[in-house]
Order: sequence, then C-alpha cells, then structure tokens
Amino acid sequence: MWDGCEGGTADVSDEPTTDTGVVGPHSAPEDVLRLEHIAKRFGPVTALKDVNLHLKKGEVLGLLGDNGAGKSTLIKILCGFQKQDSGTMTLHGKPFEPKSVDDARAQGIETVYQDLALIDELSVYHNLFLRKERVHRPIPLLANRQMKREAREALDEIGINIPRIDVSVARLSGGQRQAIAVARTVNSDADIILLDEPLAAMGAKEGAQILDLVARLKAEGRVSIIMILHNYVQVFEACDRVSLIQDGAVVLDKPTAETSVEELTDIVVTEYRRAREEAHLHDAAPPAPPA
Amino acid sequence: MASAAQSPAESGSAGAGGTGREHHSVKLPAWRELLNRVTALREGSIIVVTIVVAVYFSINTSSFLTGANFKTLLPYFAPLALLGAGEVFVMILGEIDLSIGAMYLFAPIVFYKLDQAGLGLVASMIIALLICMVVGLINGAFVAILGVNSFVTTLGMLFSFEGLSLILSHGTPVATPGAQVTQTEVKVHHIVNGHSIVLGEKVNHIGTFAKIFGGGVYSELIWAVAIVLLLQVVLTFTRWGLYTVAIGSNKLGAAEAGVKVKLVIIRNFVLCALLAGVVGVFEAVRSQTIQPDPSGPNELLLIAIAGAVIGGTLLSGGSGTVVGALIGALFLGILKDGLILQGVNANYLLFYTGLAIIVAMTANVYVGRVRRGHGGRE
Repeated sequence: MWDGCEGGTADVSDEPTTDTGVVGPHSAPEDVLRLEHIAKRFGPVTALKDVNLHLKKGEVLGLLGDNGAGKSTLIKILCGFQKQDSGTMTLHGKPFEPKSVDDARAQGIETVYQDLALIDELSVYHNLFLRKERVHRPIPLLANRQMKREAREALDEIGINIPRIDVSVARLSGGQRQAIAVARTVNSDADIILLDEPLAAMGAKEGAQILDLVARLKAEGRVSIIMILHNYVQVFEACDRVSLIQDGAVVLDKPTAETSVEELTDIVVTEYRRAREEAHLHDAAPPAPPA
Repeated sequence: MASAAQSPAESGSAGAGGTGREHHSVKLPAWRELLNRVTALREGSIIVVTIVVAVYFSINTSSFLTGANFKTLLPYFAPLALLGAGEVFVMILGEIDLSIGAMYLFAPIVFYKLDQAGLGLVASMIIALLICMVVGLINGAFVAILGVNSFVTTLGMLFSFEGLSLILSHGTPVATPGAQVTQTEVKVHHIVNGHSIVLGEKVNHIGTFAKIFGGGVYSELIWAVAIVLLLQVVLTFTRWGLYTVAIGSNKLGAAEAGVKVKLVIIRNFVLCALLAGVVGVFEAVRSQTIQPDPSGPNELLLIAIAGAVIGGTLLSGGSGTVVGALIGALFLGILKDGLILQGVNANYLLFYTGLAIIVAMTANVYVGRVRRGHGGRE
C-alpha cells in the first residue's frame, strides 16, 4: 500500500510493506532513532503488536492513532519509563536500551507526557528544573535564585509568557501548564523531544503558540521531534512526516507532502467500520454449547 | 498566551520573587500587610490560633506566663514536635506512619537490653536507633515496592513491635541506663544574724549522657528545635524535600520526570522511624524509667499526627511544613497545660482537647482559604 520511504530520499526498505498493511522496519543512514518490531503487553492487553518507526535529524514526526492504539505506550518505552517486551531500538546507530527516564534523558531524549507530569504543588521554576536542579556547592542546597533567573531566561527565549514563575503550577491555566511542560523539554540538551498530545486542553491561540515553538525548533534543526496529535490539520501544519498507529502497529508512514487529510480519514474510517463489524459479529455469535 | 488571560497568581498580593514582572497590589495598611504576610505562610493559621490561645490563658490564669510553667510545658511539646517532624515527611508523601508509637516504645527497651549486655550507653543507643531505621526501611519497602497501603502496613508494625517490646521486657518497667540521679552533699555557707554557719545540702546530679540525651532541662527542647529547623531546611531547600513534595503531589508525574519515587518513600519512612526511636530514648532518659506500656505511645502517636495536621500538613499529601508541626505541638501543649492551670476537671480534659482540635482545624481551613486567596508562599 505504501513503502514508508521519505519522498525524495534514498531510503532503502529492507523489509517493505507486509501483506497485512503493517509498515516494516527501515534503514536509512540519517536516522537518529529507529524502532524495529517493538511489542508490549499489559497482562491480557496487547498495547503494541509490531511497531517499526524511524526518525531523522531535525525531522518532526506526527504520530496519529485512535485512543488505545498504543501511541502513549510507545512514547513511554522511548523515554525509558517502560520497557518493551520484544523488539530493538537504536539511537544514533547504536543499540538503545534505556534503563530509566534519567538514562534516556542522559542519552538526549526528553518527553512531555500526556498527563503533563507537572507537579501542582511546586513552583513553575521548580517544575522546569525537576531532576535537573541547580544546587550550591559544597552544601547541596537548591540554588533557587539561579533557577528562577534561568527559568525566566529560558521562557523568554522560547517566547512563553508566564507572569510569575514563583507560583505553583496549579494556579496556571491549561495552556500555560502545557507551555511549561514543553518548555521543560526545550530547556535541556535533548536532541530528541517526544511530545504526547502537546495541544490537548489548549485553546486555538495557545495551541498555535506551541506549534510556533515547534516550528522554531524545527527551523533551528538541532532537535528531532515525535509529536502525538489528534487534529489532522495540525499534523499537516507542523509535521514533516506522519505515522499512523492502528491496533498496536504502524499502518501508514508517509511524508505529509505525499498524503492528505482525506487519505488519513479514509484509513481511520475503514478501520473503525472493520472494528464495528467485528464487534457486531462477536455480539451476534451464538453462545458456545455446554460441554 | 499567559498574558491573554489573567493568571490567578496575578490577583494575589505581591509576594516574594524577583522577576520584576509581578503585579503589585494597592498599598495596604501596615496591620493588614502584616496579617497578610502571616496568613501567607503555611504555618500562618496555626501561629494565629496558638497566639490567641496563649493570650487567652495568660489573661485568665496568673500562673500560665511563668518560667516554671514553661519548664512544665517542655516535656510535653518537645517529643511531639520531633515525632511530628518525622511524620510530616511521610504525610507529605500522602502516606502515614502509625508505627512511630511502637518505635517510641521499642527503642529504649533495645537500648536497655544492649546496655545490659555490656555494649555501653552510646553504642547501645546507636544500635537501637539503627534497628528503628531498619523497621522504617521495612515499612517503606512494603509501601513503595510491594504497594501495600501505609496505614495497614504501619498498623501491623505498630502492633507487632509493641508486642515484641512486651515480650522483650516481660512487661516489667526498668530504670533507664545512664539516667540515674546521684546525690552529693555540699557544704554551703550561710550568714545568720551576722554569724557564718556551714550547712550540708544535698544536690542532684545526672550523668553527661543523660544531660545530653533528654535528661537535661532544655535538652529535648534544644534537640527538637535543632532537628525541626534542620528538617525544614531539608524540606524547603534540598532535592530530597523537593522530591518529597513532588511525589505527594503527583506520584506518577514525579516518576515520569525521573524522580526515584521508591527510594524517597523508603528514605522518609526510615527518617520517621529514626525520630520516633530518638524520642523514645530521650523520654526514657528524662523520666529515668522504661515503661513497657503501649497505651502511652498509642496516644502520643495520634497526638503527634494531630499536631502535624494542625500545623498545616495535609493528610492527602503534597503539602506540609516541619515548623508547622512544631507549632502544632506547641498549640496542643499550651492547650493541655492551660486547661490544667485553669482547674478544668481531669475527666473533661480529653473532651476539651478534642473540641479544641476541631476548632483549631476549622480555623486552619478558613485561614488557609484566605491564604490561597491572597497568594500564599509557594
């Protein structure tokens, strides 16, 4: 159905599209991150069946999929919060097996989670520096003034306007909280940023500001971004490429220039109809006779 | 985006912070400014309530505001402040430690047994406290690793170790090692009607160990204030404190940010058990007797938790203050002491204490609302 190659690039697909429509693994020398045959189960529930994904330097990849398709699980595996049951990951061509969130972060992967991972009771600047706190030496007391100053500079630099950074984030609006969560990842040395629904709970104006921020990061070309989105228009506005996850596997992987809202909608609707028919058949099936 | 909608923070009074972008409220009268500053503290409400109660007893009871009465108050409030300090670290996590009553009882018994075995006072005390820390570690491991509810875990540990204390001590009170009072006679010169006479007077002495570890008049108070201040610094100005608040506020979020949640939980339970053991040894030294009776510690642990809650620590976690627990303990001490001095019938004492706790908590909630309305300290 599709080969998953970048338009105009010399990607070589060593395992092209399978009969089931699942996108196979790719190999491209410019990939900063590659995932091959990633699977994850939670007890009886299969969250990821066979995910193959790749990310190039400076690229913004949009990850689409229905609720429960496995997008957030994939992000949590990438950032070291969970471990896959099988499959391999490579980062900058080397095997990538993060032991923890800290480990993944040390290797340059930062994440904004769907649930934001912000700490309501902590101030804006403490949230920005959580696990990267500045401390005095030799007595390791928190260098709050330094963190406040650096937080203010970081927020100004990326164009996020928060009037007070010493108040708890519980007092901020949904959009401001999201902006802080995004700023936390940008305010790091990460070269890969994972954004799990960064535009959720945001108004159009606030969402546009986050997309502007993503566009600025893209223009700088320093970081590569994987971003989970639900709004197709935003995908086409912000992303270079789109991967669609269905039922725990990537079923579409195309540059946004080579696909359309209609094509994505068509795939999703087809899957929805198939799932409904399956559910109807299941409901209509006669109960098994007693043994 | 932030400028589009007025942040709730913007409506608050100008607080600490030096970003230069804060909104400055209109100039308030000095007394309102002071009141706002006090209520802006997490401990603000209990400070106000404690002052009101102290002023009330000072006016109504002549013997309240005296040095002698202060000395009476110390033995009650210092142990509660120390127990509360440890409990605050657990309660901010959203957990609770009921086993502090057992550690309070268990530590001096182990201390006594080890001293009897010839280990010496200091070594016996250190080992007894290390054993308390191991119990704290077990509590923490059950909660953090096995996911057992902390109320259930520590209730089990409370009963188990109180039982173990009775088994070890055979339920018999003993004299605390190193706390014995010795008497010496000194010659004192007196001038009577212009004549110098020498009279023998008996003077009580306690050993250096006892003086330092709870036996001295101000020993427990000094320890309590020093430890409370130290732990408040830890809570406010170190990563440990930051992570404790983070876990209590959003455990999953803290874990996702890379905070080692299990380690912090275990560490806080260890701290709580250690402080309970310390208080147990101090109190045994002060009273010169080790009483293997669980009823006292059981009451003490509940009052310590009440003190911490009154002091502004949330039972639901995410927020708390060690200094607040100290002031909460002071409030409970003043209340009990004041009621006794007022001649309240002993049978009514617990009843009035219970009512006062409810009134103080209600005032606390109200002042807390005012605080949040004014933009509190974050």
